[in-house]
Amino acid sequence: MDTELLSDTFVELADTMVADFDVIDFLHLLTDRSVLLLAAGAAGVVLADPRGELRVAAASSEEAGLLELFQLQNDQGPCLECFRTGRPVTATDLAGPAPRWPRFAEAAVRSGFRSVEALPMRLRDQVIGALNLFGAAPGGFDAADLRIGQALADVATIGLLQERNVRRRETVAEQLQGALNSRVVIEQAKGKLAERLSIDMDRAFKMLRDYARNSNQHLTDVARDFVDGATADFPPPARRQPHR
Amino acid sequence: MTDSRALAVWAQVAAHAAAHGQRPSVADVCAVAVSSAQLSGSWVVAARGTDPDFVMCVTDPVSEQLAELQLTLGEGPCHDVLASARPVLAGDLGDAESARRWPAFTPAACQLGAGAVFALPLIVGAIRAGVLGLYRGAPGPLSGRQFGDLLILADAATVMLLGSEHGDAGNGDGAALDGQAPDLALHRAEIDQATGMLTVQLGVPVAEAFARLRAYAYSQDRRLADVAGDIVARRIRLGRDPGQDGGP
Repeated sequence: MDTELLSDTFVELADTMVADFDVIDFLHLLTDRSVLLLAAGAAGVVLADPRGELRVAAASSEEAGLLELFQLQNDQGPCLECFRTGRPVTATDLAGPAPRWPRFAEAAVRSGFRSVEALPMRLRDQVIGALNLFGAAPGGFDAADLRIGQALADVATIGLLQERNVRRRETVAEQLQGALNSRVVIEQAKGKLAERLSIDMDRAFKMLRDYARNSNQHLTDVARDFVDGATADFPPPARRQPHR
Repeated sequence: MTDSRALAVWAQVAAHAAAHGQRPSVADVCAVAVSSAQLSGSWVVAARGTDPDFVMCVTDPVSEQLAELQLTLGEGPCHDVLASARPVLAGDLGDAESARRWPAFTPAACQLGAGAVFALPLIVGAIRAGVLGLYRGAPGPLSGRQFGDLLILADAATVMLLGSEHGDAGNGDGAALDGQAPDLALHRAEIDQATGMLTVQLGVPVAEAFARLRAYAYSQDRRLADVAGDIVARRIRLGRDPGQDGGP
């Protein structure tokens, strides 16, 4: 474990949370740092939509194969189990015999992953989602890594709810739906930009995110302005003054 | 898991419409919302930008007054839903938070007999179609199950609103969606990405791109998620002219 990287990561995440921040951008940063810190192949934050569905809020890569792995877990997989039990769920060798989740395991191995971990995002008695970690080698993550992973899942919960002390269960539901809608705005913007510039979705996401950071705006606001805008130009020709 | 749940909710809407010998409409969604979540009444307000614009339908006189009241006062749960793009769940209008949030609306709503008001966005990403408003005489929160079903009903209302506004765009791919079960597919990023791509391919605003994507899938008798996947993979593109749709 690289302790310097560990402390830098928590300083960076805490720094983000003391100011006004974009929740999806924050969760994306958290998945990025999870990959670095835990030497994971990929990471994602999956949220439980009350419609009865697990939905991706952020992932370390926007690559379609990875997003499919989160999507598949609506039927079977560690996130679904983690959400149902409220406990961490591990698989140390997805290519082993008699896999617990055959369809999921097959797709994960095809994408180059051999182990997986789902860590619950909990708020008191409520499980709102999971931090999903993928490893390239069989064997999975060690106990020290998992403690850090769970701390990152807890930070994700706090960041998502944007309030340390949420009194009302209703507030949690409101914030969760807001985050999920932000994700939809960003997907629409990715599609528009990818089509406009003939680039892939991952590249489109990075352009939107970099522009938001450089102009000191929320990623969701940048995405919404671009989708709403009459022109397909990006960066937008008439830049608004950064308002935050 | 959503597919079957959404279908069950939709079947209730279709059954309600059939009982009145009509094709399913937003009014049926409102009626089913009231009965499924054991509420007292419901309404739908159409949006213009981030503001509520006009009342589209109501289930009862109190709902009508609650909806109109917000338009008149310029404050209330419906305004907050459109401004924040997330639901507002005020399970107890008698609490301090409601009074602080809506100083004019809250006492007037209580006067009308509302103990709880819930407002759900008819919003898909950057598209704001309106708000589904609901009230109950007695205060108290929604159960998780009720909230989930109401979100699915809100999705159905959103598809109907946008479909009736844009579905018959006259470009040959605009089969009207009303009367048909909307494809409330398990949420997939490709559907949103394809919607964004179509704003450029068709040169239309995002709300119209959303409706045209659904109308195209319907006209081809294909699942929405499959068509969206083909658009994102650039296997098909939709053209600005009627004859142009389909080929790569």
